[in-house]
Amino acid sequence: MVIDLDRCTGCEACVVACHAENNISTVGEDQAARGRAKHWIRVERYYEGEFPDVKVKFMPVLCQQCDAAPCEPVCPTYATHHTAEGLNSQIYNRCIGTRYCANACPYNVRFFNFYNPVWDKPLHLQLNPDVSVRTVGVMEKCTFCVQRIKAGEIQAEAEKREVKDGEIQPACVQSCPTRAMVFGDLNDPQSEVSRMARSNRATKLLGELGTLPKVTYLQRDSWHVGEDARTD
Amino acid sequence: MERRDFLKISAAGGAAAALEGCGNPDHQLIRFIPEEDLLPGIAAWKPSICTQCPAGCGLLVRVMQGEAEVVRNGQLGIIKMGLAKKLEGNPNHPINQGRLCPRGQAGLQVTYHPDRVRTPLARTGPRGSGQFQEITWDDALKQLVSHLSALQASREEGRLAFLTTPLRGYRKSLVSGFAAAFKGAPPVEFAFFDDSVIRTANSSSFGHASPPTVDLGQSNYVISLGADFLGTWNSPVAQSIAYGMMRKGRPGQRGKFIQVEPRISQTGASADEWIPCKPGTEGVFALSLAHVILRDKLRPGSAAGASIEGWSQGLPDYAPEKVETQTGVPAATITRIAHEAAANAPAVALIGDGATAHTNGLFNALAVNALNALLGSVGKPGGISFTPAGASQTGKAASSDFGASVRALAEKVLSSPDAVKALLLYNANPVFATPPGWRVREALDKVPFIASFGSFVDETSALADLILPDHSPLESWLDDAPPSGSARTVASLAPPAMMPLHNTRAMPDVLLDVARQLGGDLAKALPWKTYDEALQAAFTTLYREQGNKAAKDADEFWSKAQEQGGWWSAEEKPAGVGAGKASGAPMRNTGPQFEGAAGEFPFHLLPFAAQMWYDGSLAHLPWMQEAPDPLSSVMWGSWVEINTQTAGERGIQQGDLVEVASQHGTLRAPAFVTPGIAPDVVAMPIGQGHANFTRYAKDRGANPILILAPMTIAETGSLAWSATRVKISRVGKGKMVLFGGSLTEAPPESRHR
Repeated sequence: MVIDLDRCTGCEACVVACHAENNISTVGEDQAARGRAKHWIRVERYYEGEFPDVKVKFMPVLCQQCDAAPCEPVCPTYATHHTAEGLNSQIYNRCIGTRYCANACPYNVRFFNFYNPVWDKPLHLQLNPDVSVRTVGVMEKCTFCVQRIKAGEIQAEAEKREVKDGEIQPACVQSCPTRAMVFGDLNDPQSEVSRMARSNRATKLLGELGTLPKVTYLQRDSWHVGEDARTD
Repeated sequence: MERRDFLKISAAGGAAAALEGCGNPDHQLIRFIPEEDLLPGIAAWKPSICTQCPAGCGLLVRVMQGEAEVVRNGQLGIIKMGLAKKLEGNPNHPINQGRLCPRGQAGLQVTYHPDRVRTPLARTGPRGSGQFQEITWDDALKQLVSHLSALQASREEGRLAFLTTPLRGYRKSLVSGFAAAFKGAPPVEFAFFDDSVIRTANSSSFGHASPPTVDLGQSNYVISLGADFLGTWNSPVAQSIAYGMMRKGRPGQRGKFIQVEPRISQTGASADEWIPCKPGTEGVFALSLAHVILRDKLRPGSAAGASIEGWSQGLPDYAPEKVETQTGVPAATITRIAHEAAANAPAVALIGDGATAHTNGLFNALAVNALNALLGSVGKPGGISFTPAGASQTGKAASSDFGASVRALAEKVLSSPDAVKALLLYNANPVFATPPGWRVREALDKVPFIASFGSFVDETSALADLILPDHSPLESWLDDAPPSGSARTVASLAPPAMMPLHNTRAMPDVLLDVARQLGGDLAKALPWKTYDEALQAAFTTLYREQGNKAAKDADEFWSKAQEQGGWWSAEEKPAGVGAGKASGAPMRNTGPQFEGAAGEFPFHLLPFAAQMWYDGSLAHLPWMQEAPDPLSSVMWGSWVEINTQTAGERGIQQGDLVEVASQHGTLRAPAFVTPGIAPDVVAMPIGQGHANFTRYAKDRGANPILILAPMTIAETGSLAWSATRVKISRVGKGKMVLFGGSLTEAPPESRHR
């Protein structure tokens, strides 16, 4: 995934789209005050400078699907593991709730279910049947909408073709009004996501930790008009 | 244990489990025969229209089979039905092109809200007590019809009032048609974020009484004065798509964007430069730019500034050096921006939100219109244009103004209590969203009979004698004619995406039913059985006037429109810009007026639209409550934004409880200390502080509207909600929930350890 911070406006359409797609329960005010609210994707904000020279920068942060994920080796039950496709996946029915993975994750994108989720009836009717509901004592996190990836692959296979670039979109990417988020196959050098990841604005979040994140951020740009066309 | 014993024990256990199943009331419900043909596990995508804000985005609803408890013919039971599971933007819709904002995403929770009104209610307790009893539709309609026919019998039809949220398209035609045929008063529209200032200004400058469609995607220089156009203003999704284009959609070209406002908004946060001007001086700032452009002959002068006093002399009063103190913006900054804007065509300016909610709001808007004309951006690519009107019927309904404001209605009732004998209420909540000085609550108390079509018991519906709950939008026939956001003619249309869950009826259908029962002229004016018949008739007219290229006959046009979520013109052709209807003397700046002496009330109070709750009408959705605010990350409550230095001087720290007092009242909220606000301004989100309005919104946070001064913009009569001055003081420790945790005391479990 590539996130272009020059397009992101911090509107949080991604945050609510993720809740709707992935059956993330709300926890209410008291639990939220204890830091137990679950947002698989969040928008971070950074204030720079003092009045009147203030700049604010937004950055959506979600699981970076690291190739060398610190959460994986610490899990005693292999609930957190790496799939063949390169996803960092969480197998809920293996999870015994040690929370080691959340401690190990430098991005703070893993969320623990301190209680069984509650949907006041009939809010439960909104639940997406393609995504399992997590119970108390289980860790949960962004899956890159694995249910959408699988559905796209199955559809392509049924039609005896390759998955097309841009055909599969996680809920956050689908909703993003400014098209700040792009999702695709990094192994395909022709894909849009690969092309953008080669931009000279490309950077990784806490890349110096050696986690090899698979989300690339394109830094915010400055004003330029009429300069030579750039690759980004 | 022998195998035989084991089987015996298991059998006994099984029987007990089966009996337990019988005791569960869920399992005693009747199973209805499914009304639709659905395949389990296969999603159908149905078009709908987003009604969370006035932008009018097109939706695709993911519908899958599920089991729901529903009411059919007054009987509760279980049915297999198609249930909406996810909302996405309709990729073909010209406004939002497949995209959606967070409020739109949460539209699903309106339908499934646990506190929806599920069946007609009649008031039992005193007014406002919230005590209702469930009644049948037959009884409810009988009550409504008897009140209306009593008015007819005593020749008092003019004493029926209709108070509604702003409507568009054929729904508006139906409501105004009902009022007209009944010979009642014209309907009164009410919403807190009222665009009447912009519409009046655009009518005067360009001959279009509608908000502008801004072609940001092709613009090289954007100056926004107070307009939160990436968050909540006008058509935020359309504008965000274009913003993405402006930033990175054109190789080698990245537009510059400047935001001018006293408090950095979510939109301001994305700007290349944030310029805090003094509240209410946005128009002066715009004219100062115009002065520099005229003085330095950067662009040819334009006649559109004729509506501004001093334009032909080159606006001598607005030289940057002269207005420096007034606006608080250094002269050098204004001069630089004027030169940059003139050099980087196409450049465009837009204005909205707080900047148009000052007593001089109309002047501010006209100043920006004149600046746009000078920049040559009116009706040009990269500038502002106007969405063309649809068929004659939609066009007429969209441009005709319902006129009287809710304040005038309240005054009428208070001065002569018999003026309104029956009031029909549709989704407007003025008790929450008008300053107490307008006395709307007192006025409504004097109306003998109020019937609400609300789906939720909010502050205004709580006063109703009768509640006739509407379907949720996803369960309704919807149509819309968005006034901005596209260069195409748009007539959105959507059949219900799912069957109704509760014992509700669509408001238009109830009106048609009532018209039939009352008979006479009313039944003749509204001859349709159901609302979809009315829509089909309207789309037949639309086909004759506009759509004959889109389908071979009216029937095909109608069914195609249902399939794709409406009809829109194939070509992008913005409405031409007329000469405008400027009348009378040129406009001069009277300066913003504020209520409250600067000595006693040193701060400007700037209420703003919360990204998640809009004007408070979305505070009942749990997803909206738990989504962190983009700029503060506050969840489940309200806050007061205070400048870092101001807070330091007054000993206020992040999260402290602060009392905000105006001449009209006080409220308390936790402080959010930020550098992104001017030292003499405090800001508060609108949307919390509901007295009722469901379990998620009730008694949560504070409502800044309740301390606003009843100042108005003279030309439009709308509320000048940026015109109140306040004082602040620290009360003690407060409670503010930030994402990531905000414990002010140790949680109970750690005390045990």
